[in-house]
Amino acid sequence: MNLMLLAMLLALLIPMYEAWQDDNIWQKMLAFASIATKTSILILVVSVLRDDWMIGVVGVLILSLGNASLMLLAQIIKRLNQI
Amino acid sequence: MNNTDILVIVSLLPLSALMLVLQVNPYHALVIRGILGAVAALVYAVLGAADVALTEALVGTMLSITLYAVAVRSSLVMRLGVVTEGETLSEEEMPEGFGQLLSELRTALKKYHVRLELVCYVNEEALEQALQDHEVHGTCLPSEIKEYQIITRIERLYEIFQADTTFPVSRWEDVVAKKLTQQAELSLNP
Repeated sequence: MNLMLLAMLLALLIPMYEAWQDDNIWQKMLAFASIATKTSILILVVSVLRDDWMIGVVGVLILSLGNASLMLLAQIIKRLNQI
Repeated sequence: MNNTDILVIVSLLPLSALMLVLQVNPYHALVIRGILGAVAALVYAVLGAADVALTEALVGTMLSITLYAVAVRSSLVMRLGVVTEGETLSEEEMPEGFGQLLSELRTALKKYHVRLELVCYVNEEALEQALQDHEVHGTCLPSEIKEYQIITRIERLYEIFQADTTFPVSRWEDVVAKKLTQQAELSLNP
């Protein structure tokens, strides 16, 4: 179980590096999408490991919310270059 | 879950916070703020504070970055008034020199992450009135020296354009003062 968490954390570091390094805003948004999903999946895994349903429900809510905020932000950034 | 796991997860928080602090572009910083919010929600959930994690995701990430994006988008903009025949101006209708002026202005403003927005007016009087009423930050008028000249009432924009563009730039105060002296001379020597 410990090994699985460690692997997930390592996978989380990949989009983090991408968000730090890449100057294109859409690449950053992609990294944000990836991180938002990965962190909420991590929350779900932790909730299963601890058998804690409260954290599990919050994990599901955050999993859906992360994408909602991403779409709101993308709509605004998309209109930046229009006159 | 032992202590090492928790320590590794918590150490992601200062890492993403450092990424956010080192970011220069405001829009990029907003995206990184979203990442920081996601990591913070993970840390709070792992530490057992499910309610705090939910609040961080709802308010700290979703609401705050959306509001900030709207605020940054509407404040980091230069409004340039132009005289056109129609209500709007499309890229195809633009004359050659005007396109060059726009691209030069955009490159100069891009260094400071400022957008350029065109506001169309029907005649020069309406344009001058708009500049006087603080509706636009600057105007673009045809000139004798180099096709177009820019008049701005913001000192900082004047400095930026003076340094980075080839088109003539003048302060609004100077233009008004020049006009007043011309009028006074005319009335003295009719």
